[in-house]
Amino acid sequence: MLPAPFTADFLNRLEALRLRTRKEVLGSRPGSYSSPHRGTSLEFADYRRYSPGDDIRYLDWGVYARTERLYVKLFREEVDLFVYLFLDASGSMAFPSAQEKFSPASHTALALAYVVLANHDHVKLHLLQESSAAPASPFYRGRHRIISCVDFVSEVSPKGPLDFAHSLGEHLRRIHRPGKAIICSDFLMSASSYQRGLNLLRAFNLDIAVIQTLSPQEVNPAFARGSLALWDSETQEEIKLQWSTELLRAYRARLDHHNLELRSFCHQSGIHYSLFVTDRDLSEFVLETLPAIGLFR
Amino acid sequence: MEFLNPAALYAALFLPLLLIPYLIRGRPRRQIFSSLILLKEFASRSSGRTWGRLYLPPIFFLQLLLLLLLVLALGEPVFSIRPVKIAIVLDNSASMQALEGRKSRFELAQDEVSGILRDLGARSRVDLYLLVPRLERIGEEAMAPSKAMALIRTLSPYDLGDSAVNYGGRFSSLVEEKGYERLFFLTDHPVQGQGGVIKAVSLGGPKDNFAISSLELLRSSFISSQLEARVEITSFASREGKMKVTLKGAGKILASKAITVVPGKVATTSFAGLPPHPYYEAEIDAKDALALDNHRFAVPSLSADLKILAISPRPQSLASLSSIPGVTLKVISPEGYAKSEEAQHSLEVFHFSAPSVLPHHHALFILPPKDNPLVAEEKSLSRPVISFWRDPHPLTRYVNFALLRPNYARTLRPLSVGEPIIQSPEGPLAIAFESQGYRYLVLGFDPFPYLGRQNLPVSIFTLNLLSWFYEGRGGSSLPTGEPLELQDGTLVTPKQDRFQIKKGSPLFSRTFYQGLYQVTRGGEKEWIAANLAGAKESDLNNPVPVDLTGEASRPGSRSSLFSLWPYLLLLSILLLFLEWYFNPPVTQS
Repeated sequence: MLPAPFTADFLNRLEALRLRTRKEVLGSRPGSYSSPHRGTSLEFADYRRYSPGDDIRYLDWGVYARTERLYVKLFREEVDLFVYLFLDASGSMAFPSAQEKFSPASHTALALAYVVLANHDHVKLHLLQESSAAPASPFYRGRHRIISCVDFVSEVSPKGPLDFAHSLGEHLRRIHRPGKAIICSDFLMSASSYQRGLNLLRAFNLDIAVIQTLSPQEVNPAFARGSLALWDSETQEEIKLQWSTELLRAYRARLDHHNLELRSFCHQSGIHYSLFVTDRDLSEFVLETLPAIGLFR
Repeated sequence: MEFLNPAALYAALFLPLLLIPYLIRGRPRRQIFSSLILLKEFASRSSGRTWGRLYLPPIFFLQLLLLLLLVLALGEPVFSIRPVKIAIVLDNSASMQALEGRKSRFELAQDEVSGILRDLGARSRVDLYLLVPRLERIGEEAMAPSKAMALIRTLSPYDLGDSAVNYGGRFSSLVEEKGYERLFFLTDHPVQGQGGVIKAVSLGGPKDNFAISSLELLRSSFISSQLEARVEITSFASREGKMKVTLKGAGKILASKAITVVPGKVATTSFAGLPPHPYYEAEIDAKDALALDNHRFAVPSLSADLKILAISPRPQSLASLSSIPGVTLKVISPEGYAKSEEAQHSLEVFHFSAPSVLPHHHALFILPPKDNPLVAEEKSLSRPVISFWRDPHPLTRYVNFALLRPNYARTLRPLSVGEPIIQSPEGPLAIAFESQGYRYLVLGFDPFPYLGRQNLPVSIFTLNLLSWFYEGRGGSSLPTGEPLELQDGTLVTPKQDRFQIKKGSPLFSRTFYQGLYQVTRGGEKEWIAANLAGAKESDLNNPVPVDLTGEASRPGSRSSLFSLWPYLLLLSILLLFLEWYFNPPVTQS
């Protein structure tokens, strides 16, 4: 059973979307994404001198009439897309509760998965957790497999700390085909940590998109004024501070700076970036914000 | 500026309590957060705060200011306008002799007064009052401050206790009557409820003190010439006192004893077999604040005869008293008592009778009728058992109460403060009273006729009571302030002042000092001892507070004062609104 935001109308509108890639992909079957290989699509790619055995149907007779040399027309090959959806399932995604942060993040991932499945492309869900097993789903294809995606996600409970780069590395060991990687995480980690992780993905020649998911309580913490002992949900580290309006203001400025740093890195690295605060409407985010950043075409 | 209710300023000591909610709030609440990576830098910033972990927001200082203003308003601050006509009331009671460091309280009061007088303008006029023996003006009326100061410097405290009167009312009527703009009252008592025109200055603090509360010169019986001095020392100290008690006879040391006095208790020591001297003095060497009560004087009775006037409807049963050596007896009927003006006897025995008012002699009442001024009689008893008797007491010495079984008795209920001496299970059978220096004993049984050896318990009791009255006869000392009854002659006071007593003015009332008063009449010398009476002056740890409450509310007498507290209160309310505005109460949905 699909979660509540996935109404029939929403699903219909998702079906009209297609993921956009900035790179050529290596698919396994004919599809709608351009491949670096030459193939049989309608999109002209290049000329090549005729050599015996070439299909004479692709001879360009106009060129022959002008140059009396035989050239065959080459066309782009269009293949299907392999999409890797990385979903952060660390302890921080359960703040203030799994329903308020992890569920909206997983719904975003499911919406993206549905877009992929509806286009008969392949999608695979990866969970970013502190585990050497690097849990991941098999590749799903066909829109009916959205239920499998939902089942996979619904069995996850976010917990534990996360070494972002290490976890991605574990997953990348099992990825053999380039495609599109979409990461849904809060990115509440040091800049060096997420930069190492994203650079790893770039090294794998993946087309990357980042969806930073934050809860409203993280954007605007509603702590009562006074002394506060804050406890890190992942590392169990504790710090004590005096919460005040000034500190809230300073925290928000620090968060803005952190997000801007992430956004700048993504921009410089050719990565799609979007921020999703979980009190926003999912359909509005998926159908308006993500197309606006160029994730869909 | 001064405060009419300065005691309220002590509330400022509680202001630091305001920190408590902030300290409680300051205790960190544990909260989970997704990641502290962005908050770590702020943690290091707050731990470096000078105030430590206590976070004091600006609203705290607003609240502090608000409370401070409220405390100030409670203190009733006033701007005083320099008064023109003032009164100064000096407490010159004995406790003002207590030392506060090097100076006595009275000297401190003099210094305080000189400060007050210095602040007055040249046009100001001062009336000076002393508190004891009664509140009365001394010196001229409306003196210039310099003249008043000169007069005050000549004064010294008396050896008198101050009476606990309603000073608030007395001072108020004085202020109204004389139209004083300010009345300054300098005392060593704590003051309650002062305000307005009356400004009380309380001097001195609690002090440990030891006092000789009693020096009694006793004879083994009223016919004996052997004297025994009994010294009673009362501790008004919080520590144990070890001291030496010295007994002097006519200025010569006769004996001394070491004694230990437990805090708050009374210790008694006695010196037996004393040679006859015209007067005796007991002294303790306690190094305490008040030296006055470390001495006590007593004069032994000169005469060995006990003249008894018996008033009885049954004279024959009293006649046996005359068989006791040293007793001179005269028996009259109750009707005869009303007509007689006998003054030469020292004891009156009312046998089945009583006068309408207390006599000015020592008196023994035996089964008095209902309309007597001392007791009400209750239950009639036949051969009652004595279940309690005061011991030690001169009345109960050597008496075997198991054998004292009167045939008929009535229980007694005292109408004023009396000391039950003998009690049966049903109630008191003998009650002793002392009033105005006279001893009264009421018996609920009849010890007469005196049967000598044939009824030893009753006979011993009879001799005891005669001795008791004999001791009290004439008194071994008088309380200071009590007038002396003199006929004529020359009186020398303890301060060596001489007074010529003329015939026709037999009362000498200026017995303001403790010591020996010597009366010379022809070639005869008579000594009269006067001692500080009452424990209130000696108890420097728990002085009786003076209540001036009655004065505070009187209107129209504050012409020289301008109250500030309403403005402070207004400012406090304004601050309260500000506090509400900046720190609205949290409503939980």
